[in-house]
Amino acid sequence: MATTGQALRDPAHRVSPRARAMWVTTAAVEGVVALVVLLGAVLAWDAVPAWTLALLLVAEVVWIAVVPQWRYRTHRWEVTDTAVYTQTGWWARERRIAPMSRIQTVDHAEGPVERLFGLASVTITTASAAGALAVPGLDREVARRLVDDLVRQADAVEGDAT
Amino acid sequence: MSEPLGPAAPPVAGDEEWQRLDPRMLLVHPVREVVRFLPALVAIVLAGTASGGVTWQVLGVVVPVALGLLRYLTTRFRIADGRVELSRGLLQRRVTSVAVDRVRTVDLTASLVQRVLGLVRLRIGTGVAANDDGDALELDGLPADRAEALRDDLLRVAPAVDQTASATKDGPAPPVATFDPRWLRFAPLTGTGLVVVAAAVGGATQLLDAVGLPRSLDRADLRGPGVVGAVGLLVAVLVGLLLLTVLGYLVTNGGYRLEQTPAGWRVRRGLLTTRDTTIDDERLAGVALGEPLALRVAGGRHLQAIVTGVDRSETGSSMLVPPSDAAVAPRVARTLLGHAGPVDGPLRDHGPAAARRRWTRAVVPVLVVLVAAVAAVGAGAPWWLLLGPVALLPAALVVAADRVRGLGHALLEGHLVARSGSLARRREALGTGHVIGWTFRDTWFQRRVGLTTLGATTAGGRGAVTVLDVPEPDAVAVADAARPGLVAQFVR
Repeated sequence: MATTGQALRDPAHRVSPRARAMWVTTAAVEGVVALVVLLGAVLAWDAVPAWTLALLLVAEVVWIAVVPQWRYRTHRWEVTDTAVYTQTGWWARERRIAPMSRIQTVDHAEGPVERLFGLASVTITTASAAGALAVPGLDREVARRLVDDLVRQADAVEGDAT
Repeated sequence: MSEPLGPAAPPVAGDEEWQRLDPRMLLVHPVREVVRFLPALVAIVLAGTASGGVTWQVLGVVVPVALGLLRYLTTRFRIADGRVELSRGLLQRRVTSVAVDRVRTVDLTASLVQRVLGLVRLRIGTGVAANDDGDALELDGLPADRAEALRDDLLRVAPAVDQTASATKDGPAPPVATFDPRWLRFAPLTGTGLVVVAAAVGGATQLLDAVGLPRSLDRADLRGPGVVGAVGLLVAVLVGLLLLTVLGYLVTNGGYRLEQTPAGWRVRRGLLTTRDTTIDDERLAGVALGEPLALRVAGGRHLQAIVTGVDRSETGSSMLVPPSDAAVAPRVARTLLGHAGPVDGPLRDHGPAAARRRWTRAVVPVLVVLVAAVAAVGAGAPWWLLLGPVALLPAALVVAADRVRGLGHALLEGHLVARSGSLARRREALGTGHVIGWTFRDTWFQRRVGLTTLGATTAGGRGAVTVLDVPEPDAVAVADAARPGLVAQFVR
């Protein structure tokens, strides 16, 4: 067997470096919201001590310092003539491989936050309920090119993709 | 199925025109709408009685009946140009259209009311991944004989079925499996049986609360006739539940029969609501042999099909063998797959790291609870708080040992076989031709010990067959062997 004893390598391309900024921003906004909620609780009830605020703040700073960076190192993608290979996640890493012949739809989506950073996400679905490949945080132009390439390549393959 | 139609035979004559469902559905729809509106109706009747008006109550009956009538009048279907088309809705018209050669399963079900009227509901399963209910192609209410003819046509026109038809020319084969009343002893051990028991226990405690029975008994109450009565009541409730699960099993699976027909594998079951499913052989991607711990101890197994285009929200359509004697499900699996290997063949062990993970994952949560309980007792809580975690510990050990024994995977006779779990153990076999992608999922803990969870995605069942906690090189090797060339381009 050609692949005995071997492990998968990372996909070739990283997502846009601006994705890091996006993840930091969303994490910071969520953190501020959580802080405000907790502050309200501290003011409203005596049972909630004030030091929980400090604890939450420290946890959030650590989270913002670590998780977006970790995410950025994990998120990668690659397209070959016969397959798409994506890697997402951070603590739990998910690598997905789909043959070109089994691709059913290719979605290009830009959420409000993504648009702020000039980013887009591409979702590639197969006939499997568990088989969608999603790459968030791509540069808008890269995402558009990726969609065009995939549609052209997937179109060239015969079959009903199941 | 009485007259042999050639593969070139046109679909049932007269189906090319738009037509309505059977008019007898007019008797079914209003009843169904009334049932659906029942909570609102009760409220309306109560409010109406309170305010003294009859108008509201009349309206409460007229509206559902009118809705049922409207539904009948606005639902039409036709079979033309190789497509089945269903048109629904008055204000928002919705036309669902499916090419006949994309039909994967045809399901006939009949509720009690429909059976009395001689009607069935025909449901067409196609290969759409996200098949939400609104888009399902359902002809609710056809005469039974007409539906059966339509079913045979739909499945026979599909080109892939011709080979199956020629393979079984020598007369109708005997059924692969039929119902055996002795299977009823497995009823309480099925998933639904356990759910019924849990729901009833939950309901009973809520009822007790509502009735106002004391939650904690005084020591003095624990003597005398009160206790006997309570224990007697408990036993009676348990026996009642047992009977309920047996009855449930009988109603869903009574008259079960699995046979091979030219159109595919045909499963029939149900006493009140009958269900008649035919699975096109080409779409049978694999099987899942269910061997949950409780059923295994009692000497039982069950079998489900992994059918392309039928996802797990339609589990009823994929049942092949209900919980039954241990020999039946494997025998049926061997017959359907045409090989013994995927069902009986030896599996490859996942190694010591995977075994360690089974132990830690089963035992650590119990230990955490135990430590918390010890701390609570130390802080002055009653000692019996310890009983639960202490009793759970041996159970966790047993389950962990069973999980270790069960874990394994193999590539046998063109099927990827994976087994895992204990309380809900499954041995799944998926034809490698039906694998449409791979997922490798691993948490930091798994990466640390070189394990990954391999998923072979497919267009049916749970969406993927999962090989739990396999060493990464083994995962890559089996994925490459199952579909040569795909994964190899991404290895180091």
